[in-house]
Amino acid sequence: MFSVARATFIRNTISMIRAYPWSFFIGHILSAIYTVLFAYFAYHYAFEEKLDSRFVQYTGSGDYLTYVILGGAIYSFAVSTLMNVSRALITELREGTLEALLLTPSLRKGYFLGNVTQQIMITSLEFTVIMMFGLFFGLNLDNMNWLSGLIIWSLAIAGFFCQALLLGSIMLRFRDTYISQNTLFVIMAFVSGVSFPIQYLPDWLEPVSMIMPLTPALEAFRNCVISGQSLMDNMSQITHLLLLSLIYFMIGSISIRRMEKRVIETIFG
Amino acid sequence: MLIVDQVSKVYKTKVKKGLLRSKWNEVRAVDQLSFELKPGQILGLLGINGAGKTTTIKMCSTLLQPTSGRIEVDGLDSVKDDIRIKGLVNMIAGGERMLYWRLTGRENLEYFASLYGLNNSQTKEQIKKLLHDVELEEAADVPVERYSKGMKQRLQIARGLINDPKYIFLDEPTLGLDAPIAKHLRQYVKKMAREQGKAILLTSHYMQEVEELCDEVLIIDKGKLIAHDSPENLARSIFKQHHLRVTIQKVSDDILSKLRLMLQRYRGELQLCYENGQSELLIRSEMDITSPVLDFISMYYLSVIKITAE
Repeated sequence: MFSVARATFIRNTISMIRAYPWSFFIGHILSAIYTVLFAYFAYHYAFEEKLDSRFVQYTGSGDYLTYVILGGAIYSFAVSTLMNVSRALITELREGTLEALLLTPSLRKGYFLGNVTQQIMITSLEFTVIMMFGLFFGLNLDNMNWLSGLIIWSLAIAGFFCQALLLGSIMLRFRDTYISQNTLFVIMAFVSGVSFPIQYLPDWLEPVSMIMPLTPALEAFRNCVISGQSLMDNMSQITHLLLLSLIYFMIGSISIRRMEKRVIETIFG
Repeated sequence: MLIVDQVSKVYKTKVKKGLLRSKWNEVRAVDQLSFELKPGQILGLLGINGAGKTTTIKMCSTLLQPTSGRIEVDGLDSVKDDIRIKGLVNMIAGGERMLYWRLTGRENLEYFASLYGLNNSQTKEQIKKLLHDVELEEAADVPVERYSKGMKQRLQIARGLINDPKYIFLDEPTLGLDAPIAKHLRQYVKKMAREQGKAILLTSHYMQEVEELCDEVLIIDKGKLIAHDSPENLARSIFKQHHLRVTIQKVSDDILSKLRLMLQRYRGELQLCYENGQSELLIRSEMDITSPVLDFISMYYLSVIKITAE
């Protein structure tokens, strides 16, 4: 499995160096920067730095700008991870290499592991750029519990990866990347607490936020950065994230294998 | 040995009926097909487009599962033991797909070697040998997107041999290739079977290619096996049977004997019938012998009433 992961990592890195779609990279950063700028100007000039009292009650902090900048950065990170991993097989299909890949006895887990590790390089760079930009617009890292934050960040990658397996099989099923991924990203942005706490959502929408790995990942990461909380303080969010990861992994692994077979059948049928 | 036993493949496709309605359509691509492929043998699979050749090859290479029947490779079942079979087989398709265009030829082979679980020394050795065999040593470190069609096809062959497969499935491998490159490929295929004992299943549109390479040929039509024989016999019985029907005034037995003698030289057969004082000659042959027959007729000043070639 690890030799396949390593080979896929090398293959993707070479392809990226030769022809990386920089528009994706810039697009993800710009989208997060817009979120930061919008929040900054709205907070300072539209709302004159006045927050709803419920905000502090829900988040345990009055630092709205750090809240939003972290939301934008982690959201961008989630989108990049989901996008790069879930598009892997459909890209093989479009470039005519899927058959050659499926002919080999290699494990698909190794293939996806290679894809996710390679894309972490790029998404980490995007994340760092957004965080550095955020520092100029009110991001406060003074209280950050770095170790816990790093562990939560790693667990979040695992969660997004598992969700990407399911998204990837949906893409293969419908042979579509644009509508499937963007629908999910819009829903994620709205219900996962990217720019406001999920408690503001109508009651009927809250369950939707609970099935997104981004929700517990974001909540735990903010707790570690804004309030300096430890992992133990965030056990419920971590359990929630791990449980979602497990469920997505199980459904995603089965469905992606089924979709691979279906795609091959459809091509020739 | 590869055993294909009573294999059928039915595709179910959705057909749109109006805006919201759709209907499932069943297409029987392969129907009760059986054959065996032994080490060192080259077996040809011949048929028109949509005959079921590619589907058969995809099932043998485990990409597709048969709807019914059984495929066995060295005693392994193609559905239950697909992962183990994948290590024993490989497929080479015509065209320019199945390669990563942004990688160089060598990088492509290195990647596929990893997917087949080859270690570093095996990979180096195998890549060196394959690049030499397909004459791509000089272009090994050039990205595939800069390769010509023939070079891509040769790299495809190297990719298909990277795991040193016992069974090779060639799906129209010379499609779109220049004549000299196609000839070189045919020689290479022959060498793999004769010298390395590879079992090769080849699909092709070209009878000449099949005749040159294959020990046995299967002809399939609408998924069904309609003929299974040596290429020579098939060529004789199906592909090169010329019929010439000549109606002349009644001729003497002496001239008929001379005509029979002449036809023997061209491996032709004569069938004769008399009607209304005329002789109707039906001449069957492997090659078109209209010219020698006309020469014969003019040599003996026979008056021709009607002549048709079929």
